Amino acid sequence: MADPRKPPDDLVLVERLRAGDETAFMMLVDELGPSMRRVARMYVSSDAVADEVVQEAWLGVVKGLEGFEGRASLRTWIFRILVNTAKTRGLRENRSVPFATLAGDDLDQPTFDPSAFGGPGDPNAGAWSTLPFDWRGMPEERAEGTETLHVIGGAIAMLPPMQAEVIRLRDVLGWTSDEVCNALDLTETNQRVLLHRARTKVRSALEEHFRSVSEA
Amino acid sequence: MSVDASISCQEVVELLSAYLDGELDPFTLERVEAHLAGCDGCTMVLEEFRETIRLSGGLTVEQVDETQRRTLLEAFRNWRAGS
Repeated sequence: MADPRKPPDDLVLVERLRAGDETAFMMLVDELGPSMRRVARMYVSSDAVADEVVQEAWLGVVKGLEGFEGRASLRTWIFRILVNTAKTRGLRENRSVPFATLAGDDLDQPTFDPSAFGGPGDPNAGAWSTLPFDWRGMPEERAEGTETLHVIGGAIAMLPPMQAEVIRLRDVLGWTSDEVCNALDLTETNQRVLLHRARTKVRSALEEHFRSVSEA
Repeated sequence: MSVDASISCQEVVELLSAYLDGELDPFTLERVEAHLAGCDGCTMVLEEFRETIRLSGGLTVEQVDETQRRTLLEAFRNWRAGS
């Protein structure tokens, strides 16, 4: 028997879906569902409409299975269907969301606080003037505790929606940058910028957290 | 050629994600690596980025709403029955 913990490869999974395998279908729903709902919600007006979009997208997936050729990964292909469905629905709702609202309006700003570095004219311009708190030596049981996960989850929840989704797909779910660009319809550059901002903010949240516990 | 190829801390920290993901062009990569070799502050931040990514991988995926699960399962069954 196959190891149930190891995800089956895409073509095997598609074969199972075509054969009507409910376990395979629900496994995908559980894995991708939460992200799909959040991504749909970026383009439409309410949670209820986002749920409808997700259902419509799954229907599109199931109907399109015969045509799946494995050129993109299955999850990327599913997200393409989702994003197209959500955008169409958003248009019908006359809802146009500027990219800056989704991605954050600070993308052209430095991600690190400029005051941590020597300013222009300083002989050490651009070099560290104040080093961040060094939390590398945190004991493992502290670093890996549920409190840390809570801090990370909280920091991600505060991010603009597209930054949050990019870091979730890349660093929580382990997708490749190609998959994420394709799935969320982002250029490579935008994906990289969004991911870097997101990681920087999560790192800062961890720094704050570890600093406060080390002072306590 | 006498080009000043050095790169500042402030520039390096903006490139750390691309560095970790292997997305830097060879010229920039060389400059970043040369900088990191001589800079404890940037090396610390790099290691903290690596740790941030590793710890983020420990988050669990939220649950799909039970009503939504049932609706989707039913739709899947109907599709199968109708195909």
